[in-house]
Amino acid sequence: MADTAAGMAAAVEVPFRGGGFAPRPKRWVGPATFLALIALAEWGTWAGWISPLTLPRPSAVVETLIALARSGLMFDHLLPSLTRLAVGAALGVGAGIAVGVLIGLFSHLRAALVPLVAALFPIPKIALLPLFVIWFGIDEGSKYALIAFGTFTPTVVATFGAVDNVDRSLIRMGQSFGLSWWSIVRKIVLPGAMPGILSGLRISLAIAIILLVAAEMLGARYGIGAYILEAGALYDLERLFAGVVILSLLGVLTSAAIGALERRLLGWRG
Amino acid sequence: MSSLTRRGTLGLIGAAAAGLAAPALAARRRVVVGAMNLTSHAGSFIALERGYFADAGLDAELKFFQAAQPMAVAIASRDADFGVTAISGGLLSLAQKGAVKVIGGALSEEKGIDGQKILASDAAFKAGLTSPAGLDGKRFGITTAGSSFHYMGARIAAAHGGRPEFVPLQKVGAVIGALKSGQIDAWSIVPHIAKPLAASGAVHIIGNVADYLPGYQVTTVFTSAANAGGDRGLVEAFLQAFSRGVADYNAAMVDRSAGEAAMQAVVDIIHKYVYADQPREKAAVSIINGSMRLNEGAAINLASVRDQLEWFQSEGLVDAGITLETFLDTSYVKVIGA
Repeated sequence: MADTAAGMAAAVEVPFRGGGFAPRPKRWVGPATFLALIALAEWGTWAGWISPLTLPRPSAVVETLIALARSGLMFDHLLPSLTRLAVGAALGVGAGIAVGVLIGLFSHLRAALVPLVAALFPIPKIALLPLFVIWFGIDEGSKYALIAFGTFTPTVVATFGAVDNVDRSLIRMGQSFGLSWWSIVRKIVLPGAMPGILSGLRISLAIAIILLVAAEMLGARYGIGAYILEAGALYDLERLFAGVVILSLLGVLTSAAIGALERRLLGWRG
Repeated sequence: MSSLTRRGTLGLIGAAAAGLAAPALAARRRVVVGAMNLTSHAGSFIALERGYFADAGLDAELKFFQAAQPMAVAIASRDADFGVTAISGGLLSLAQKGAVKVIGGALSEEKGIDGQKILASDAAFKAGLTSPAGLDGKRFGITTAGSSFHYMGARIAAAHGGRPEFVPLQKVGAVIGALKSGQIDAWSIVPHIAKPLAASGAVHIIGNVADYLPGYQVTTVFTSAANAGGDRGLVEAFLQAFSRGVADYNAAMVDRSAGEAAMQAVVDIIHKYVYADQPREKAAVSIINGSMRLNEGAAINLASVRDQLEWFQSEGLVDAGITLETFLDTSYVKVIGA
């Protein structure tokens, strides 16, 4: 209490206490964390306190990647995998967005399909792989189907959620200006739902990459997933990690592609 | 390696006890034996059920696996102490990393004894795949690259100058399904699986593996490198018990020298682990039909093992620097076919 009295007498200047608690960009910290972890693994495997059974040496993984690229095998594995991803995800995401928008717009369809989607969502798609092999054949058909099915449900859920979240006041404004139903869907609902759809797409495409490995479990000789499975069977950790690195890069690239799409499609947000 | 671990110390005690030729007097050591639900693991089943492991001073527990590769990984991670499975690319890689060692042999192909069969799907058979000579370009089912199926398929087709397309399906069950539905054209498998499949009419037997790979050392006995190198007492105790189980199996099922009653007794033991879901009468037929030689005294066929290593290396599935010494410790059992 004596302090307060003394403070009041001296009229102390109060420093600014606001600010903080807001993330600020720190460009170098992300790469530095990666580098530190990789350096630690390199040192550990080199010095011997990480056994070759536990973790491969990062430099050996890089050498494996370079050898893979040089031999042209990288292309042999990437091409089928990218095709499977593109076709499967295009089918799943395309159908998912269409169904999601329909659910968002029509109450009858919502009542009919939302429980169905909720029933389909938790099914582990990997468990259905043998069934897909019978339905769609052991070749590309079953792989497309697995990825399509796996991306379909999260896309539907993200899309109808996004449609539901479109600003009602904008729709009412369109109605007071006498816009037709189709005009409102095209000019207000779809653009308004786009941020939600695109962020759903990030999740769907990550799931597609996860399912790629599962899809290539049955009958695939080439593909990044088949390459990883083969490396695992041979207990070849360098190749296993090389494959995992490729999948990670694929994830980063799709995420960047969606980022670019967002900047293009969501420019209207200003 | 030089530090005295608890396991190492126990090993020394075990070795000392074995040296005194009184292993049963030592406290019984717990060992986990990797097995699969196949008749080729009968040596372990019999040794456990008839108390041979206990006689050797081991408190053995069977741990079951669905494929050869996970068993090798379990030995490397010390979740299992001994395993019996085919030489695979994974096993060789783990041996190269200093984790496991092959210490003996088990299942063998032998001329004159009904061994593994080469199968064709019904569709492929009708389209003309009636002998292994037609395997070139056909879809041959394998579990994973570097599995024993991969080796067999490649060697059999190569005998006719062919090269099949190998289709990895991860699990034996998936391969059976794919073969039945005609998604793949051919496969090779032990007779107790092959014969019922052929009897169902969905697949056809088109040849014998033994005709192409005589003396093929199908499965081997292996343990962790630490056991093989530093725990001779334990390894010898295991091999002694395992060999007694193998001898019983061969006498009852392969040579049929022990009489009908002994055969039925062994079938009873195997039926606890193989086709346990089927009634005994039905299972007994498959188990008896599928009898293949297990190497007496866990002897190992060096020529066959060398051929397998060379094939894995020629296909680039394992490192070219692996030698027989890398993964083989021949100090425990008799070597044949050298």
